[in-house]
Amino acid sequence: MGYLIAAYAVLWAISFGLVLSMHLRQRRLQLDLRVLRQLVEDAASSDE
Amino acid sequence: MKKNDCLPLLLTVSSSLLILLGLYLALAGAPDANLKSETGRLAQRIIYFHIATAWVGFLAFFVTFVAGAVYLRTQRRQWDIAALASAEIGTVFMLGVLVSGSIWARPAWGVWWVWDERLTISLVQFLIYVGYLMLRGSVEDPARRARFAAVYGVVAFVSVPVNFVAIRLWRTQHPLVFGVDGGGLSPNMMFAFFFCLIAFSLWYVTLMWHRIRLERLRDQVDELKLRLV
Repeated sequence: MGYLIAAYAVLWAISFGLVLSMHLRQRRLQLDLRVLRQLVEDAASSDE
Repeated sequence: MKKNDCLPLLLTVSSSLLILLGLYLALAGAPDANLKSETGRLAQRIIYFHIATAWVGFLAFFVTFVAGAVYLRTQRRQWDIAALASAEIGTVFMLGVLVSGSIWARPAWGVWWVWDERLTISLVQFLIYVGYLMLRGSVEDPARRARFAAVYGVVAFVSVPVNFVAIRLWRTQHPLVFGVDGGGLSPNMMFAFFFCLIAFSLWYVTLMWHRIRLERLRDQVDELKLRLV
């Protein structure tokens, strides 16, 4: 029984790790995107 | 809610529900295998997720192969993104195959690992695709990176048919679930088996959707950085 639980736990952990890594990367990119958009807007308004 | 948000939500919820149902079938719904030992019968239930995980790995590498070939022909970024997304998902799933297979091997064979053809080829295949991801990380120029990765992805795909036929070509210790004499599973086991295959395929599509979206976000960030420079 222990091997069965271990195998499924590992598969879940690997899947969860992939989803978590994608979530964290997405959150960081969204934050970068927000900051960069603001910087572009600021640059455009200072040019005017 | 926008239509664009609806599809990923639907995909995520439906694939998660199918995976949970698959888990129930694998652990309780499917009948026991015709094995003498209790440990063997329990360990055999690993195959439902183990084979479905391997299937997703092979499918993902096939998509990397196709997307790479189409990229070489069209030079369109979307195919490079699809190849990368699929290779990353496939590599993670192959890791799952190696680890779950090793855990199954302990009660079934009495060892965690043997250097037989199927297991060795699976490990080499995993390392080949780790190499694919490392190659992408080591080339700065995006066009060169995409071209190198596409060629690598096409060539690396050779490992998939070799891995698939390994248990048919050589007499390996790895069991052959579907051979020329028919399947080694009873009809109820077959149902759980194919249910898990479908659930994992949908899970792969869901992961692809999210991973491609992530890469498009990265492109937007790079584009804005360039505008600022």
